[in-house]
Amino acid sequence: MTRRELLALLGGGAYAAPGRSAPVAIVRARGYEQGLEAAVAGLFDQLGGLGRLVKGKTVTIKLNLTGSPASRFEGRPLGSTHYVHPRLVGAVVHAMGRAGARRVRLVESCWATGGPMEEFLLDCGWPVRALATAAPQVEFENTNARGKGRRYVRLKTPPGAWIYPAYDLNEAYEQTDVFVSLAKLKNHATCGVTLSLKNSFGITPASIYGDDAGLEEPNENPTTGRAAVFHFGKRGPSRSAPQEFDPQSSRDPGYRVPRIVAELVAARPVDLAVIDGIETVTGGEGPWIDGLRFVQPHLLIGGLNPVATDAVAMAVMGYDPQAVRGTPPFHRADNTLKLAEALGVGSADLRQIEVRGLSIEQARFPFPA
Amino acid sequence: MLLLWLAASVATWVPARWTAQDPQSLELLAGTPINCLLMEKVSPEFLAAASSRGLAVLLTLRPEADLEAVLHSAVHAGLSGLVLEGAFEQAQRERARRALPQTGLPLIELPPRAHLRLDRSGPILGSYQGLWPGIRVSEKGVARAAPTGSPWLETNTGFLRYLRAATDAPIWIANRPPAGPTSMERYLAAVADAAIIGARWVVALDPDFDGRLQRREAKALAAWKRIAEHLKFYEDHPEWRNWKPSGQLAIIIDGTSGALLANGIVDMIAVRHVPLRVVPRQRLSQQALQGARIIVSVDPAALDEAAKQLLRSFTRAGATLLSGPPGWKFPAPTVDQITLDEKGIESLGEIWREVNSVLGRRNLGARLFNVAGMLSHLLASPDGAQLVLHLANFTSYPVENITVHLPGSYTRARLLAPGEPPRELALQQIEEGVAIEIERVSSCAALLLDCKR
Repeated sequence: MTRRELLALLGGGAYAAPGRSAPVAIVRARGYEQGLEAAVAGLFDQLGGLGRLVKGKTVTIKLNLTGSPASRFEGRPLGSTHYVHPRLVGAVVHAMGRAGARRVRLVESCWATGGPMEEFLLDCGWPVRALATAAPQVEFENTNARGKGRRYVRLKTPPGAWIYPAYDLNEAYEQTDVFVSLAKLKNHATCGVTLSLKNSFGITPASIYGDDAGLEEPNENPTTGRAAVFHFGKRGPSRSAPQEFDPQSSRDPGYRVPRIVAELVAARPVDLAVIDGIETVTGGEGPWIDGLRFVQPHLLIGGLNPVATDAVAMAVMGYDPQAVRGTPPFHRADNTLKLAEALGVGSADLRQIEVRGLSIEQARFPFPA
Repeated sequence: MLLLWLAASVATWVPARWTAQDPQSLELLAGTPINCLLMEKVSPEFLAAASSRGLAVLLTLRPEADLEAVLHSAVHAGLSGLVLEGAFEQAQRERARRALPQTGLPLIELPPRAHLRLDRSGPILGSYQGLWPGIRVSEKGVARAAPTGSPWLETNTGFLRYLRAATDAPIWIANRPPAGPTSMERYLAAVADAAIIGARWVVALDPDFDGRLQRREAKALAAWKRIAEHLKFYEDHPEWRNWKPSGQLAIIIDGTSGALLANGIVDMIAVRHVPLRVVPRQRLSQQALQGARIIVSVDPAALDEAAKQLLRSFTRAGATLLSGPPGWKFPAPTVDQITLDEKGIESLGEIWREVNSVLGRRNLGARLFNVAGMLSHLLASPDGAQLVLHLANFTSYPVENITVHLPGSYTRARLLAPGEPPRELALQQIEEGVAIEIERVSSCAALLLDCKR
């Protein structure tokens, strides 16, 4: 254990609160057509209702749109495989509007572009006009660059962080009252699983953290991913942003990516986690991974704490949320949930989590070991 | 007079390779637009049956054939013409070119791309060499794509766009399917890949499909019907062959700068669905560049002073000129070559990066969304009253929720597709002009727009 990890465990950020963690709900959803709105309403009801969370507030929903929209698995719609489904997004936005949200912002750092998110969504085949009217005030922001904002905001990581002291992000992540991670129930080639925590990896702008980020200043027209900076640490982010604590630390993606995810969630806390497990893929995060399989778990999982929500989701997938590196699904990486736990984000201990709606056993849908 | 009549007649030929010798096999052509059969051997009985159905039969010869003997007997045999397919020696070709017109029979040459002579007018311009259109599939049977990029499209459209721009002759591409069983969708892609450019694919079936079709197996008959439906769709709109490519990007290219090869700069731009006009260097003129906002000159060293002056006048008027690297020269394609080699692609990298950067999100005639795995081609009618945006789907599934942004004003938009009734589409006013949403494209479609005058 490093000095930093020890500090994290001992420091004020360490999650040590006794008793029950935030509740997590599981509901059955037959598909993305009939009954979806009722399933979404049921999920939020299980969590105590949306009104108290979003009424009169600006709600920012981080979507999971991994990779290029041109990359499809077996020709299926993106939302049926590795993206969150647009109808689910519409249902969630509509529920937010009905619960009194003042403004709903859909955000994502869209793959390899700094262009308008609306155009990226059109490239995904999404009904942008319908989404824009699903609630009274719906906005779209591509956070892969500065976007419609005037500046980047700097969000600090807590004591105990391993890689970066702070992250420079699109200002949408600061200008919000409620931050929602709308994720997909999936495996991930590096991190084992990608759920509501890992979804936050995508809040970082490639303009600063991309392979073609400017050396000094952000590149507002990014055209690549973030592997060189984040996964392998081959180069640093633009010098305008905070640099790594220790450039000599491990360059192993299995060490770096889970820690970066945990830091991001600690820096930009998630107030509501929703995981789309209605239709998805097993075996990886997108079509570029060999061995993918299309599956239909017919599940929605939601919670007010992302670590607890991911812990329940992992259990539903047939994994131990407290598993250590080298065991499924963390074959090549450290456990993101435990790292987030170490930064005080939440608990991955199922004994501490109240599961509402379906039980884990009722919902169990085993993913590959 | 005879030659003119001949040319007009040949221009209407819808060709297919035909292997069956049984005259009854001709029943399969009923209801299809196919009216011209390319055969490697043919019996008098078959010829008589074909003739009674008004079908043209062409004897296809390869370089190893006894050309002299065939030339003497062709006219008496009742053939409609001859096809020279392959890399014939120059002397053989000249001999055939001299001999055949005297008989009144057309000679159609389908040489390797490297042997194409655009300055020589024959009744048909074509080649037997082509990629098998579709999404490139990896050894594991999945679509080949960069980890987070677009699927790689195999297409002949770049080559065909160049031929279309360089000549007024009808164009055939006579590439064959792979030897193994091939899905129906790939045949439909082959039809559309040629037809959207105004060319014709010489229909050719893989041996498995051909055998099943001749045995009248239900599945093969259904696939054949679908292929015929697609051929008919384009043949029902012969006017589109006379429409000109529309768009504000012009690319000056010729056979010595990569136009004969696939995977080049034209294909790279086309995959981004940027409407483009190919301007052969020899046809460069004020009119050819009219309305161009971006001009790509692939081989600037090949331009004469008048051409350079013309380009300067366009840049002075506000157009952006992008040129290939100085001193850079494309290697001449070899007889067997139809795609750019690694070195060629590498050499294009520099100009492609520049082009890609300048294109950005500009609307140069149309912007299309959710069209990965498809190709498009934008054409304008000679009077400017209509546009047609061709869409060819290379995936094996229908593409849903396509959006098109077009500059300008339109009074009507219709979607035409093989075997489907026309669909009226809504025009939504947006900042760029209009947005049109297309719910679904199965294999191919044409978005027909009436322009506001």
